[in-house]
Amino acid sequence: MRLTRFARRIILLAALPLLLLAIPVASVAAASAATGAAAGTGWIRLAHLSPNTPAVDVYLYSFGDASAQIVLHHVAYGTVSPYEQVPAGDYTVAMRAAGAVSTSAAVISASVDVAAGHAYTVAGLGPESGLRLQVLDDQLTTPPGKALVRIIQASLKQSVVSVTWGSDQLQGSLKFGAVSSYQTVSAGTGTLTVSGGGDNATASVPLAAGTVHTLVVLDGANGLQIDNLLDAAGSGVAPAGGAATGLGGMAPRAPSSPLPWLAAIGAGLLLATAGGLRLHSRRAAAPAAAGRHQRVPAARS
Amino acid sequence: MKGRGRHSRRRSLSAGGRTAALLVAGGLVAAGAGAAGLALTRHPDVPVAAALQVLPAPTGQIEAVPTEGAAQVAEPVSLVIPSIGVSTSLVHLGLTSSGALQVPPTTSVAGWYAGSPRPGSIGSAVIAGHIDSVAGPGVFFRLSQLQRGARVYVRRADGTLAVFEVTDVHMYAKDAFPTTAVYGAVPDPELRLITCGGTFDYSTRSYLSNTVVFATEVS
Repeated sequence: MRLTRFARRIILLAALPLLLLAIPVASVAAASAATGAAAGTGWIRLAHLSPNTPAVDVYLYSFGDASAQIVLHHVAYGTVSPYEQVPAGDYTVAMRAAGAVSTSAAVISASVDVAAGHAYTVAGLGPESGLRLQVLDDQLTTPPGKALVRIIQASLKQSVVSVTWGSDQLQGSLKFGAVSSYQTVSAGTGTLTVSGGGDNATASVPLAAGTVHTLVVLDGANGLQIDNLLDAAGSGVAPAGGAATGLGGMAPRAPSSPLPWLAAIGAGLLLATAGGLRLHSRRAAAPAAAGRHQRVPAARS
Repeated sequence: MKGRGRHSRRRSLSAGGRTAALLVAGGLVAAGAGAAGLALTRHPDVPVAAALQVLPAPTGQIEAVPTEGAAQVAEPVSLVIPSIGVSTSLVHLGLTSSGALQVPPTTSVAGWYAGSPRPGSIGSAVIAGHIDSVAGPGVFFRLSQLQRGARVYVRRADGTLAVFEVTDVHMYAKDAFPTTAVYGAVPDPELRLITCGGTFDYSTRSYLSNTVVFATEVS
């Protein structure tokens, strides 16, 4: 009975601190889970690529918000903004005439659903009379050792152009306002040629491995013009696996082997037992030997 | 009682009795010492590093965030992370013969993976450093303690500074390393700082995980 009650007490005493430990462990786990989930962002950039449309103010709204998250003022033809990192979610892009009041009706608007880890270009394309806002899904994954290239044809004067990169033809005939699909090209520096009607433009363009480019064909001051936009870049060749950046000097060291200590305990107990047995047998034999050894008469009561 | 005690002691103070008593005493001392030693050595021994020395923010011309990837930015030469006391020059890192990331030759310096974009240009720049040597802390010992919002400064060969802000700190198992998230293309100027972390496997003498800090350039 005593043992059982005792055992129960011991178990309760042991369980209580374990229960108390569970609370901070659970909250730490919850906190680290929240940390991981918080990082859901994508990228968005805005472009004015309609040659005969005057400059505009571009507004980016988180869907449903009355006030804009980003406003770009006086964006003229040929301008492509840098990417903005935004939380994933729904957005509205609106364009107003440059200098127009923010509450005035937008000339044109479009909605964008930004997914985490994805990038988008929202571009005003086409002639002014047929202006549209097109949402482009931007590629971020490059084949190892290669580059990705796409072309946006924003020249009104040359309604159809062809594009060659070195000796490779990238686009045979790309119409005004059209966006080509992405093409994989070998990395390196080459000559890009854009031809349309009687006009052409060339540019020496470095396309590094692991990069994504958008080439924009524009009506420049002197005819056809090529803008080479670096959309995204990563490692041309990614290392395999993780990094061996640790040698263990600050790692917790495992407890040393218990064997030497256990051996000491065992040996000590053996010695003590041996000695104790010896003493015990000597005490048992003492009365018989007392007659021979004692010098002083024993005063045992 | 005293008399009896003295008589008993005198009787047992023969040679054999002394040996026996010594055995008992010695044995108990040995067993006691063994038990004490066993108890005191059961917990893992965690090495303690010197106290953190927070550093001042570097000064100098801060290079603006690039609008287009036209001009090549200068190569990185040094790295300062004031909140965790890191100040190191940067060596160049390549790939090993097996295609893995080369690591800095000493544990007191960090390295920029030269196959990744230059810090401050558009893309995912990668810098790696050791968490420890065989005997003590390495240059990135406190990397996992970085908080969101902490500033990271990279000085470049032309003297300009690129300033980054930490957005995330993650630990990944090495055998499930997220290569695309770390080395893949991104459309803005970003930085990844890599070191080891997690459990140290004594049989292979290597850590089982990597700590990766993600940061984005701020203007």
